[in-house]
Amino acid sequence: MRIGDYKVSYAADEAVFRSGTVRFWLGALFVGLAVFPFLAGDYLLYMANLTGIAIVAAVGLNILTGAAGQISLGHAAFVGIGAYTAALLITRLGLPFLLCLPLAGLSAAFFGVIVGAPSMRMKGLYLCIATLAAQVIFEYVFKNWDGLTGGIRGINVPPPSILGFSLNNEFRFYFVTAPVVIIVVTAARNLFRTRVGRAFIAIRDRDFSAELMGISLFRYKLYAFALSSFLAGVAGCLWVNFIKIVTPEHFPLHESIRYLAMIIVGGLGSVLGSIFGAIFMTIVPEVLKSALNLVSAVSPKAMAFLSPLQTVVFGLLIVVFLVFEPHGLAEMWRRVKNYFRLWPFEH
Amino acid sequence: MKASKWLVVLTVAASLALGTGLALAADTIKVTAQQPLTGRFAFAGKHIHQGLMDSLGYANEQGGVGGRKFEYIYEDSGYDLQKAIASFKKAMAQYKPPMDYGESTGQGKALAPEINQRYHVLYGSTSFSAELADRKKNPYMFVSGPTYSQQFGILLKYIAAHPKKKGQAPTVAFFYSDTEFGRDPIPYAREMAKKLGIKVVAEEVTAVGAVDVTSQLLDLKRKNPDYCIFQGYVVPPIPAVIRGARDYGLKTTFMGSFWTTSKMLLDKLGKDGEGYMGVNPYAYWYHTEVPMIKIIQDYNKRHHKGVDYRPNSYMQGWFTGMIFVKLAQMCQAKGLPITGENLKNMIPQVKDWDTQGFTGKVSFKTTNATAVGRVFVGKGGKFVPASDWIYLDE
Repeated sequence: MRIGDYKVSYAADEAVFRSGTVRFWLGALFVGLAVFPFLAGDYLLYMANLTGIAIVAAVGLNILTGAAGQISLGHAAFVGIGAYTAALLITRLGLPFLLCLPLAGLSAAFFGVIVGAPSMRMKGLYLCIATLAAQVIFEYVFKNWDGLTGGIRGINVPPPSILGFSLNNEFRFYFVTAPVVIIVVTAARNLFRTRVGRAFIAIRDRDFSAELMGISLFRYKLYAFALSSFLAGVAGCLWVNFIKIVTPEHFPLHESIRYLAMIIVGGLGSVLGSIFGAIFMTIVPEVLKSALNLVSAVSPKAMAFLSPLQTVVFGLLIVVFLVFEPHGLAEMWRRVKNYFRLWPFEH
Repeated sequence: MKASKWLVVLTVAASLALGTGLALAADTIKVTAQQPLTGRFAFAGKHIHQGLMDSLGYANEQGGVGGRKFEYIYEDSGYDLQKAIASFKKAMAQYKPPMDYGESTGQGKALAPEINQRYHVLYGSTSFSAELADRKKNPYMFVSGPTYSQQFGILLKYIAAHPKKKGQAPTVAFFYSDTEFGRDPIPYAREMAKKLGIKVVAEEVTAVGAVDVTSQLLDLKRKNPDYCIFQGYVVPPIPAVIRGARDYGLKTTFMGSFWTTSKMLLDKLGKDGEGYMGVNPYAYWYHTEVPMIKIIQDYNKRHHKGVDYRPNSYMQGWFTGMIFVKLAQMCQAKGLPITGENLKNMIPQVKDWDTQGFTGKVSFKTTNATAVGRVFVGKGGKFVPASDWIYLDE
């Protein structure tokens, strides 16, 4: 139970880590993250890396859609641009992996700004369709510019290395993914305490009022697109170096929709929501599959029939979550936290 | 008896049961699989899975290998690369199997470096990609039949031997989808056609499930090829193309590779299926004169009531099982333990293996693919052999 948690200055009220309890649990989380790879097996580490990469991309989309209110159906294409940029820089120019991370981000951000330009004139569904066009165009380019992207066959990437130390398994790669996720999450959390972040929220809540307050809508919308695609690009770079192959089949429209689902299920406009959403969308299907494996241990033939059910159950879960908690998992988490804040003396 | 005593009895019974279970499990040859039971490829995946399971089941009925039974452990991977790799890693960590079966070409390509350097597991898959059959690059992987390129090679060899106009080079068109699956054999096919003196007069490319094929049809009409080979489709747009070509009065013979030499397509073609040709490395369910097909039918009769047909995707699964068993038997015969490493070393040593008529004599000569197939022709809703087994990499 926390008592005596009074704020005596604005700075204290604005602090990210507001109390000793928060700092304690955060410390525990970091210790957990540091110890995890030594306890987990290949499979769990593989899933952890995938989840981490999804978190980076989801945070990116949440900045654009959740915070700035610009719906994008082209997020997977930006992840793809990051992945292709990294693959090309590594295989053609032999650039080191760590340098590719920001470069892949910048390349995606560059295209993000171009795609974001119509947002000056369009909003809502119209912008949504414009980003959908971007998704289709980039997918087409990935598939047909054989000379650059390797066409349908894609590009194979060697295992990345840092200063001669090869990151050729999921254990080693974890030590890249985890810090990148921590840096991205910290940066995103702090973004909303800056002028830029607040401008995003103002634009989302009412663009007219925002403009009257002196916020340049066009410029800030472009910032949002640039930032969001930058993170998508970084996620793409991580992804291609982890999976070691990139083909156009990996960034289809339904992947873009999956990212949207992540931030909606997790909680729009919340960094924590992006994290929960990414975890939910990556881990829950695996959990469902494990449950299915238990059934198949009893009845080996059942699995073939039950497998298609996984997708149905997963879809139902998303609907149920949204019906009972439209603000997403982050809101649920907040309520759980509030419950325990004064536990066991809530009254 | 008191509750505590019951508890003791139950614990002892449970640990005994678990112990025997583990002892049994330790003695099996584990085969793990990532099967595309859901997703885009499920139409074939569920049959491949059933075929592989039955094939290993049949091997177990025959006593397994050296008294050890096969244990087939599978998981649905949904034709999704990330899920498939996750499932593969889980299987490797949990069971450390000597053999694994993968769901797609993509999975094989993505895992190739790790299989070579880290997991050392014999790897079969649904894929017919030439890249996965490249022994130098991927020694642990094999293709359960001829690669797409080899399938084209077999068809082209057949065409070269059956020119339609005497004294003139046969002409051919390639009709393929704009996917990896569609484009895979095309460069090789162009080269092979040149070598065999066949003229490639047209190449038509469409999206996978293309509906409007008018422009391609008009082009075909103009070029009027003797033969036209489809690649990278399952059903559409093939019926529309053949129908349209007949309407234009073309006498072109249409052909397909493995996935388009199926009963499913022939049923959809109806009357147009008469004379449709294709290459298939395996015998069909209704070729009851083939001893291995008899075995398969008998196995199905005993284990799956009400089954009256198994498609060629089932046969692919069955044949993969046969290869797994064969390589394990070879290890056993040489007194080597059944490990991925030893199984891999056996692949190039398979020579003139008699599969009881299921496919031609199998030798993995220069590639880890069988390079043998047969041309079939549609007659009365069934595929009947139009050639003997055609071998490619002499």
